[in-house]
This record gives sequence, C-alpha cells and structure tokens, in this order.
Amino acid sequence: MARILLEGLTKSFKDKAAVHDLTLEVADGEFMIIVGPSGCGKSTTLRMLAGFEAPTSGRIWIGDRIVNDVAPKDRDVAMVFQNYALFPHMTVEKNLSFGMKVRGEPKLAIKKQVAEVAELLGIDPLLDHKPAELSGGERQRVALGRAMLRRPKAFLLDEPLSNLDAALRTQMRFELKRIHAQFPVTTVYVTHDQIEAMTMGDRIALLNRGRLQQLATPEVLYSEPANLFAAGFVGSPKMNLVTAEVKSGPASPIIRFLSCDIPVNGTVGSVVESLNHNQVVVGFRPEEVLPCRPDEKGTGITSGTVELIEPLGSETHVSVRVGDELLTCKFPARAGLEVGSAVNLAIDITRMKVFDQETGERLG
Amino acid sequence: MSMSTTPEDLRPSSDGHSRRWMTRNLRRKVLINVTLALLGALFLLPLLWLVFAALNPHATATLSAPRLSMANFRTALQAGAGGAILNSLYLAAIATLVATVFSTLAGYVLSRRHIPFKGPILIVVLFLSGLPVALLLIPIFEIYVKLGWINSPFYTALVLGATSVPFAIWLLKNFIDQVPRDFEEAAAIEGSNSLQVLLRVVVPLIMPGILVSAILTFINAWGAFLIPLVLDANPSDTPGSIGIYNFLSANYQVHYGPLAAYGILFSIPVIVLYLISSRWLTGGFSFAGGIRG
Amino acid sequence: MTVLTGTVVDGTAPPVIETKRDTRFNPSTLIWLAPAAVLVLGLFVAPMGYAIYLGFTNLELLGVHAQNYSFTGLSNLSRMVHDPVFWSSVKLTLIFVIGSGIIAQTLLGLILALLGQRANIVVRASVGSMIVLAWVLPEICVAFIWYSFSQSGGLLSHLIGNPSDDLLSTVPLLIVCIANTWRGTAFSMLVLSAGLRNVPQEVDEAAQLEGASYWKRLLKVTLPIMRPTLMINMLLITLSTMADFTLIYAMTQGGPGNETAILPVYMYIEAFQFNALGYGTTIALALVVIAALLSIIYIRQLRPELRRAV
Repeated sequence: MARILLEGLTKSFKDKAAVHDLTLEVADGEFMIIVGPSGCGKSTTLRMLAGFEAPTSGRIWIGDRIVNDVAPKDRDVAMVFQNYALFPHMTVEKNLSFGMKVRGEPKLAIKKQVAEVAELLGIDPLLDHKPAELSGGERQRVALGRAMLRRPKAFLLDEPLSNLDAALRTQMRFELKRIHAQFPVTTVYVTHDQIEAMTMGDRIALLNRGRLQQLATPEVLYSEPANLFAAGFVGSPKMNLVTAEVKSGPASPIIRFLSCDIPVNGTVGSVVESLNHNQVVVGFRPEEVLPCRPDEKGTGITSGTVELIEPLGSETHVSVRVGDELLTCKFPARAGLEVGSAVNLAIDITRMKVFDQETGERLG
Repeated sequence: MSMSTTPEDLRPSSDGHSRRWMTRNLRRKVLINVTLALLGALFLLPLLWLVFAALNPHATATLSAPRLSMANFRTALQAGAGGAILNSLYLAAIATLVATVFSTLAGYVLSRRHIPFKGPILIVVLFLSGLPVALLLIPIFEIYVKLGWINSPFYTALVLGATSVPFAIWLLKNFIDQVPRDFEEAAAIEGSNSLQVLLRVVVPLIMPGILVSAILTFINAWGAFLIPLVLDANPSDTPGSIGIYNFLSANYQVHYGPLAAYGILFSIPVIVLYLISSRWLTGGFSFAGGIRG
Repeated sequence: MTVLTGTVVDGTAPPVIETKRDTRFNPSTLIWLAPAAVLVLGLFVAPMGYAIYLGFTNLELLGVHAQNYSFTGLSNLSRMVHDPVFWSSVKLTLIFVIGSGIIAQTLLGLILALLGQRANIVVRASVGSMIVLAWVLPEICVAFIWYSFSQSGGLLSHLIGNPSDDLLSTVPLLIVCIANTWRGTAFSMLVLSAGLRNVPQEVDEAAQLEGASYWKRLLKVTLPIMRPTLMINMLLITLSTMADFTLIYAMTQGGPGNETAILPVYMYIEAFQFNALGYGTTIALALVVIAALLSIIYIRQLRPELRRAV
C-alpha cells in the first residue's frame, strides 16, 4: 500500500494537451475518484499511472519512488479495465491465479488465496468456467478478483461499471465500497458518472479538458464548487445558472437577476465590485428554490409560470419559466401545481453562489 | 513529500523519461529493426541474383555485379519465351474468367438464398479446396483422352479454373455475407429482377472480393505446371512455366543469363498484378456511406 | 484473410447479420448454381470417383492396358505396401511437409510477425514486400533460382566455403526444403500478423500488470490466444506443401535416385514415366488419405473454436 503523487503531469499528442500540468496526491488507502466528461484526460492519466502511456513531462510517484521509467509489470499496481481484459483462453481459476504463478508463489498458497477471494466475490461456483460463459457482472468480479490477488500497492479502475446495466451498477457500487472498507488499498477510480463519483469517493478530482477543476470531498464539491464547470457537472438535476447584472447600490453592490435585487456584502461584495465588467453568473441548486405564498416579501422572491412537472414520488421536479430563464426546482411534493399555473418562488440567497462570467471562477 | 535519492541519470528529464531509459529503449528498437532488416536481406538475395543474372550476359550461379545488357532477354525471346508467355496468358485468362464468373454466381446464391443441405454443401466445398490436385490428374487425363479433349489449351484451362472454383466460392460467399442486404432489398423494391440486382447493385459492391478471387485464380493458373504438362503435350501450347523448365533441361550447360531473363519476363505479369491488388485492397472498401439515407 | 483469421478471441461469437427473409427454396437458384456445380461435379467429383476406381486397375499409359484395362482388385495396393520407394516417398513427404512447412515456415513467419509488430514502419513495409515477392514469384522461377544456387559454383556452395560442392546432389532434400521455406514463409507471416493484431491490447496489458515478462506473455497469453490462427495456418501449409509438384520436380525430378521423390512427384514418375497409370492413381489415393488424416488431427485441435465461429 502506498500513496500516489502526480507532479505537474502533462501528456501532449501532437500539439494538443490531453492532460495539462496535473498535480494530485492520493493518500495511502484513499479511494480517489477522477471524474469528468469524455475527453477530459482521465483515462490518459490512469494509463500514465499504470505505465502504458509515457508522460510528456512531470513525475509520477508510487510510494516513495519515481516510476516514470518503471515498466508496468514492475510498478506493483493492479488495474481493472473497462472491458475486463480477462484471458479468454483460461478458466476463471487460471485467470485468478495467473499473476501469482508468474510471480512464483507456492501452489498451496495460490490455491488458498484464490479460493478466499473467489468466495469473497461470490464467484467460487464459476472457477471452472471460461470468460465467454460468464455474464458481464460475473466477468467484472473476476477482473476485480484478479486485481485483488495482485496484492498491489494501488488499485486502478478504469470505468469498471460502465458496461453493466443500471441495477447491477448500483449493486457493484455498494460492493466496491464494502471491499475497499475491508481492504483499504490506495485506489484511483476513473469514471464519467458523477453519481458514482459522489457515492464512492473519499475525494474527487474533477477534470475537464485535461485540467484539474477541483479536488475535494463529495460534500465540498457539491456545496462549494470552485467554478462554473464544477457547479454544473455535479448534482442532478443540474444547478440553475443565471446571468446577472452588477449594479452599484447604496451600501454595497447589488446583483440583479430574475427581477430580484440582491445586495452583496463583505469580501464578496468588494470582489464583485472590483470586476471590470458588470456581469456575473449566479447559481443555486434546485432544492434551494421553494414555493412561497404570493404575499411574501424579501430578497430572492420571484415568480414565474410552470412549464413542466416531473413527479418522482418523494419529490417533484418542476421547471418554471421566469422571464428568459427556465429554472429547475425541486419541490417536496406536488404542491398543487399544474402546467401553466403561476407560482411564486423563494430562492435561498444565503446558499447562492456567484461566479465570474468570464473566468468561471467562483467569487462567493 | 520526500525526495528519494534517485541517481542523476534515472531522474526524469523534462520530457518524462530518464536518460538511461531512453538509451535502453533506443537500443532495443535498433536491435529489432536491424534483425528484421537482416532477415529481409536474406529474402532479397535470391531475387537480386535473378535480376542481376538477367542483365548480365556472363551470368553465373553466384551473385555478381551486372554488366547491364539486354542480350539475355533477346536470347530468351528467341528461345520462345514470348510465345510461351502468351500461352500462359491464354490459359490463365480462360481459367480466371470461367472460375470467377461461376464462383460469383454460386457464392451469391449460397450467401443469400435458401438451399437445401446448404451447410453440408459448404463443408464439401471447403474440403474440395484443400484436395491435392494430384488425385484428379490421371482420371481427368483418361476422361479427356476418351473425349478427345486432350492437347487442347481451352480444356486444359477449364481444369485450371475448376481447381480454383471451390476456394473462390468459399471466399466470395464469405465476402458477400459481410455485405448488408439493404442495397439488394432496396433495388428489389424498385422492381429490379434478380439478375439486374446482381449486376447493377451487388457486383459493384463485392468488386473487391471478386478481384481478390480473380487475382488469386490468375496467379494460380499462371504458375500451373503439372496440369498443363499432363493434359497438353503440344509444343506450341507450352506455357511459360514448362517453357522455362524445358529451357533449363534442354542444354547440357545451364544458360543462367537467358534463363534468368526468361524467368523475369515470365514473372512480370504476376508481380504487376500483385502490386495493383495490394494497393487497391488497402484502399479499403466501405459500405458506410450507402446505408443510411 | 479475414475469412480465415477472424476467429473468436474475446470469447464471444461474432454477431451474425442474418436477416432471413426468404426461407422458401427458389428454383431459379439452381440456374445460378448450375455452372459452378457442373464444373465442380464434372471436373472434381466425377474424377475423384473415377480415381477411386482407377487406383485398383492395371491401366497403363501405352500398350495393351491403355485401352483394355481391368479391375485388378487389391494387387496395386499390395504392390504399394511392398514398394520400398513408396514408403521412402511417404517419409520424404512427411519430412518435407513438417520440416520445411510446418516447423520452418511457421516459426519464421511468427518471428517475422513478432518483429514486424514492434519495428519501424518503413522497415516493416519494405521487408514485408520482399518476403511477399518471394511468394508471388512463379514456382518455376523459385525452382530455377535455388537450382542455380546449389550447383557447384553456385552461391550456396560459395557461402559454405566449398565452391565446387554440388549441394543439390549431396543434400538434395535440404536444399529443396530451404527453397520451399523461402517461397512459402510469406503466407505464415501474413496470417500470423493478422492473428497477432487480433489479440486485444488490453489483455496483454493486463498480463503486464500481473508481472509477466515478454516471453511469459508470449507463451502463456499471446500464443494460446492465437491457437486457432496457428492451427489453421499449419493446416493450410500442410495441404499445399504436401501436394506440391513443381518445385521439386523442376529442381531434381525426384532425384538423385529417389531422394527427393515426395508423393506427388513419385506419382508422376510411376504414371507418366513408368507407364503405370493405375498404380500412379493408387499412390495419389494414398496421398489423399494421408492428407485427410493430418487434416483430421488439425480439425480436432480446432474443434472448440470452430463450433463457436461457425
């Protein structure tokens, strides 16, 4: 078990950078998730960690040694590939014991450990079968078992759940977390699914176009996104992002949007004031918008027309048109609304976020 | 973050790999390429000799620098190379035409239509393509003698075509299997009958397969030796392959130069075909554009 | 080559794009099949049957029995079994096929494929075309080249330092084997290259992460995955080498003596030089039987993969 450190990692193809100056540390035993949309460089990063791609510059540490020049077979890491990469000509048992045999471990030990891991993962009845005869979920567990038997310094998982159906995916998320709790090996997990990231990670590294957007725990990523991209990527339904105008007010700058005028105080106020353009983006999550009585007053009150209602049982997603914008709101229940009816909304401005429209950085 | 004590040449330079790794990697690459090149040279040597010997009026059985003259070619032509090559052309052309047309028709229906016992038929066809032709030689000889078809280039060519048909059917059938039926169905809906569908829609699509089959058949028939040897004893019908053999064994001393020239003349058509086909085939054949819309 | 090497690798059967529309038998189909069927039946199947009969007759090329030949029961068979040249011929055929075909060509083809996989693209392309050129060259030319090389004063004798050595007389089988290997390696190289490309890169990477060295990966992962390709390759080499006439006949006519008389050559000699067409057919039948036996061995090796692919 070891910690992993990526220092200034860059990978360029021709003149395009797939990964740009990535610095990331994964603590010993931590379950780190690298998440981002397609093409953000997450798989490339993982492959550089494994040793199948050479970084253009930067250093990779596994434990306390630099492994840039160490061949994949000597890095002491295990990987679960997206397509499992099981040896098609070998039985499950041979697949599992392959690594240990290669490393010359004694037969009895191999047999015992293979049996243990197979039982842990529920694949012991499948030991004599070939990969072709297994279902997707079973194959994935064999791939996992093979990685576990490696007893590596770190686990690398490349979108392991993306080829499974939804029900199986949920089940496997739970199992992976359970296994990690039982065997806390340093893990780097790559996915494009933000739900997997949020539910499984100790910490999340959010990547976009090769650059690290934010590195934080799921809670922090959700409640304190560092920029527009992070705000929009995490959370379902997505955060409402509305352009707003900055005006000067008597005591402090005022941000105006959706016919609300919201004074901004303190440090945030001065930052907003010092912007050399007067447009910002305001963000608030669907659950931070609630219906209110028509006569309520206060900052952050606005009204609009209901366009779409999606009842999900325990909650209802309502799309409300306010002026030019379409807001997504999460209401606790049906709240007696119909499409086309008018509704009054109260936005929780204490949890509202302000972003610089040009840089995307969060201001407050 | 602890700084490990990595020696200077192992620490990564600004481009991701240490100097020691780079040299080791370079050495491995050089080794692989040099070995491959050496093996290639071994294969090249005999070919080189052939070319040099053909150009060298004083050619010997060892490799020597040519003194560049076309004299050998003239000698070869005088010895009948031209006629023999034309005979080869005739044999190969007829064989290829017959085999390709017949096999395309058969391959098409075997791929598209329902035929009773199709499975066993295909297996039989596959096995026939592996059958040693030597078995058929004597019986066909006897049959041809009885039919009076002996010593005829045409009927000899038929045999050459027939021996290529099983493999050609297998090749074409599998090739046509890969072609989506959508095109034919679209044409059928527009009212074309089967033959029109075949000619106007299918053949253009499977042209690469047809060409591969035709080229393989041609090359096979071009180099044929035993079958023409047995079935056609007419000296005027002698194809190039037998012509070279006769030339080789005719004189007491082997005339390396003219023989090499003869060999090269005889090889040129086949080599040209190979060059054309390999560039053509790697040009790709895709159906991608035609299906949607 | 996709026909032969598109075999299953990742353990799942290739999807069959099968839209069976018309399951009724359309009589017009017969017309389309007819030309090929007539040709195959007439010039393949019928002669095969005729051969099975002829092999047991005393048919001759010239003379009394050219016209009036009769069924002679098992006398040809008996003659063959007691014919030392026949048995020597069988042995030579097996040596020729196994030595220069299965072992030499497969090994060399594999080495070339493996090297080519990691070599510079220009080197790979140029070496590849030279090797394929050797294959495309008409067989008679190959025979001539190696005949010349192995004469006294030829290139080979120069190389081994004894220019006056007539290698074709001293080690004829070896020379013939070398010539055949030179000619045929291209096929193995192409087939095995394609087979190598079909090994999923991820599987090799997974093996690397398990700590396996290059050779271990080659022996335990790459080659086993390529087994069906290797088997098909060897089967095809066997069938074509076993039936080869031109190369050996043109170089040695089966000689000196009968030292290089593999079965097809021996058949020709008996039939057309010694007049015994019937007996020659018997030899040809023996050749086919041996070929069939060897094929069965290969097919058994392939059976699990075949069931999935076909």
